[in-house]
Amino acid sequence: MKEPGADTPAPPHDASLLLEVEGLTTEFRTEQGRVAAVDRVSFQLHRGETLGLVGESGSGKSVTNLSILRLVPDPPGRVVAGRVGYRGKDLRTAAEEEVRVLRGRNISMIFQDPLTSLNPVLRISTQVQEALQLHHGLGGRQARAKAVEMLRLVGIPDAERRADDYPHQFSGGMRQRVMIAMALSCNPEILIADEPTTALDVTIQAQILELIKGLSARSATAVILITHDLGVVAGMCDRVCVMYAGRIVESAGVDELFSDPLHPYTRGLLDSIPRVDRAGGGRLHSIPGSPPSLIDMPDACPFHPRCPSAMDICRRAYPPETSRRAAGSDRARTVSCWLHAEVRGGPTQREPA
Amino acid sequence: MARYVAKRLLSLVPVLFGVSLIVFFLVRLIPGSALEMYMGTQVEATPQQLEELKRIFGEDKPVPILYVQWLGRVLEGDFGYSLRTGRPVLPDILARLPVSLELTLLALLIALLVGIPQGVLASLTKNRVVDAANRMAGLLGLSLPQFWLAALMVLVFSGFRGWIPMGNYIRFVSNPLRNLLMLILPSLAIGVGLAAVIMRYTRNSMLEVLQADYIRTARAKGLKRRVVIVRHALKSAILPVITVAGFNTGYLLGGAIVIEEVFALPGMGRLALYAIYQRDYPVIQGIVLVIAALFVLVNILTDLLYAVADPRIRLDEAGR
Amino acid sequence: MASGRFSRNSIAMTGAAIVALYLAVIVVAFFWVPFDPLAMDAAHALQPPSLASGHVFGTDEFGRDILSRIMRGCGVSLAISVAATALGALVGTFMGTWAGFRGGRWDHWIMRVADVLFSFPSLLLAIFVMAVLGEKSFNVVFAIGLVYIPQFARVSRGAVLAIRQADYVKAARSSGAGSGFILFRHLLPNILVPLVVQVSLSLSVAILLESALSFLGLGVQPPAPSWGNMLASARKAMVIAPWTAIYPGLAIVLLVLGFNLLGDGLRDVLDPRLRNVR
Repeated sequence: MKEPGADTPAPPHDASLLLEVEGLTTEFRTEQGRVAAVDRVSFQLHRGETLGLVGESGSGKSVTNLSILRLVPDPPGRVVAGRVGYRGKDLRTAAEEEVRVLRGRNISMIFQDPLTSLNPVLRISTQVQEALQLHHGLGGRQARAKAVEMLRLVGIPDAERRADDYPHQFSGGMRQRVMIAMALSCNPEILIADEPTTALDVTIQAQILELIKGLSARSATAVILITHDLGVVAGMCDRVCVMYAGRIVESAGVDELFSDPLHPYTRGLLDSIPRVDRAGGGRLHSIPGSPPSLIDMPDACPFHPRCPSAMDICRRAYPPETSRRAAGSDRARTVSCWLHAEVRGGPTQREPA
Repeated sequence: MARYVAKRLLSLVPVLFGVSLIVFFLVRLIPGSALEMYMGTQVEATPQQLEELKRIFGEDKPVPILYVQWLGRVLEGDFGYSLRTGRPVLPDILARLPVSLELTLLALLIALLVGIPQGVLASLTKNRVVDAANRMAGLLGLSLPQFWLAALMVLVFSGFRGWIPMGNYIRFVSNPLRNLLMLILPSLAIGVGLAAVIMRYTRNSMLEVLQADYIRTARAKGLKRRVVIVRHALKSAILPVITVAGFNTGYLLGGAIVIEEVFALPGMGRLALYAIYQRDYPVIQGIVLVIAALFVLVNILTDLLYAVADPRIRLDEAGR
Repeated sequence: MASGRFSRNSIAMTGAAIVALYLAVIVVAFFWVPFDPLAMDAAHALQPPSLASGHVFGTDEFGRDILSRIMRGCGVSLAISVAATALGALVGTFMGTWAGFRGGRWDHWIMRVADVLFSFPSLLLAIFVMAVLGEKSFNVVFAIGLVYIPQFARVSRGAVLAIRQADYVKAARSSGAGSGFILFRHLLPNILVPLVVQVSLSLSVAILLESALSFLGLGVQPPAPSWGNMLASARKAMVIAPWTAIYPGLAIVLLVLGFNLLGDGLRDVLDPRLRNVR
């Protein structure tokens, strides 16, 4: 039994633009006050592209992605503003049923902890088959066959037999592979991977990332990869958005970002990576201070207490988003920092949404 | 898995041993020995008759020896004879088992049919007021003393004299309809309280499961709400409910004393009560031992059922 | 901090209010009741409730005022329940904490004893003990207390075991803390939470057990009023005089509900895991 509505073609626009997020804001009501976990976040995702979302814990990266698919637990959270444009619809304001139809079929998500993200009392085959039976209307036997095929694809040995096992009989790395199989089984256009390797051993991490890279390239799936590890970003992503305190402070192509970081926070992150080739064997660099509390944030740059280049204006107002187009690139890079904000008359300048 | 089963069954032995010890020795401490009560009706007895009576009533030897003798006979299936009726104890006990069993199962059925759906619904409501009302209703069900509920029911239904058969208990095999009618009120009296317990456990378990990551995964797959709730959430959430349902079942087999008394049902609890009233030692020893044994056995069965239902226990990491 | 949450939790507050009401009734009843609870008055037997006659809840088959008997019975029932719960809690917690803390053979044997006690359905065990000790109100405390020992033993042992393994205890040990220190600073505060909840719930069950025992004639002996024995004597009269059964029962239900609400609400307030869930 197939579901209607998920096949409507996207209206003519930039033909490769899949997802357009504008001004997304998600709040949590806590005992201490309102927390804007995601604050006016905007970015674009194009077909086949891998977008990295980087930031520390609590920077809002995971919540951003949950907000796209409307999976934020309510209470205590709520997506209060913004637009999530996909296939001509605004997912934020669309009917729940319309969004549900897209989940798992057009937009899939995999989560950080494979231990708790799989249902312990259901067989692996059942869990992988579900999406296939629901979205593609496959019968029991067909769905199982396809599920086994997916498991083989992600590298589960002896897939035919192991499909009937339960999650606790698999190792962490294998479980994550199962999650990937589940997510990709219906050939989604977008895969959202929320820190897929953080909970895994270092040796397994590389394998899983390679798997994601390979599979998404095969079917031209766009990937939003959330991570706190810049090394992963370097290896996997085409474009990067850096998040801090719920906001995107910089976004650029991966090469641009690494070679010419504009925002002091980005620079701090890059400098913190221990380098064996640095002469002198000096101290490890770290960004002093700690991330701010997100409760009732004032209108200022959230990074200013820790910023080596902070100016007076940083304390008084949130910097506008500045766009810059580098030579030889058809995509703009943006940064929200007073250091790079041009006065009137300069290159394109956008006020915060 | 088989080892788990064997281990649990083996644990029955020391526990029952302890139970038999307590039962036997405590019974001996009950003031007003049966012999004295019996003697009250006799005017006099010759010394030989006294000796004979003492032997019959089991008062001629030191207690530990009597215990060992009794235990030996029990293991052979001989539970002795009632001091009051002179009939063998064990068959009388076993004759009452079906009654208690039927009552318990009916009450359990009512409780599960009402409690589980209510618990699931209660866990899903987001309305604070409705939720608080549900919780209070559940706690209210727990707070009703069974005998009061039973009394109220008798009061309310006394107008339906024609419907509810009074008088002697009718067995299921002889007349199923009248039998069920006789048991409706008592099972309801028990079932209401049990339904409240089941509802609370289901609700709490569902609330916890619904927070789990794998529910988020299920939703992210685009599954319909009903599927997420029943196939994913309820299947895990039901496990603690199995435990509590099993525990209460075991309890009720011998513990439904008050209900059996109020409704004059010939169950095991009532037999125990009257045996204690009448200081009928052999019966007391026998019935309490049987009730405790059943309780422990049902608990073990519940654990096994749980182990079967939870694949994490059923299949350990090593084997299949 | 916890008290703030308590006052916002409607369930806990309602429970507390109910219990407070009963405590007030007990205090009042100590000094004054509308009628002498033991005074029989055959001429006014089985009178329906009426404000005019002063018998707000009616009279029983001996002409005794039901409200006064309920008020007096309150003190008795509550005293027995509190004493029994305290007894069970003290002995059981001591046993369970000892077993959990020492482990090994202590644990094995203590829990064996608890298991054996636990294998009797509670009412049956209580009846049995009452038969052994004699049917006096005072002995009910021991009967019910005995029933509670295994429950408290299990709860406290579970709490101790969970904490022993906890990382913060290992951390404390590795920085040199001795056993006694660990016991007080870490173990005790964490056992307190499940214990407090268990006590509140046990109080509610104790009231029910005491009523059941009295109903069966094995608890508080007439003519002393207990809600349970009031219901027992009401059985015959109840068809023509339902108030003799309704009001004592309501008294039980309301108090038990109060303790249950309190226990449930306390669990909400004190259990940090459930804090942000409605």
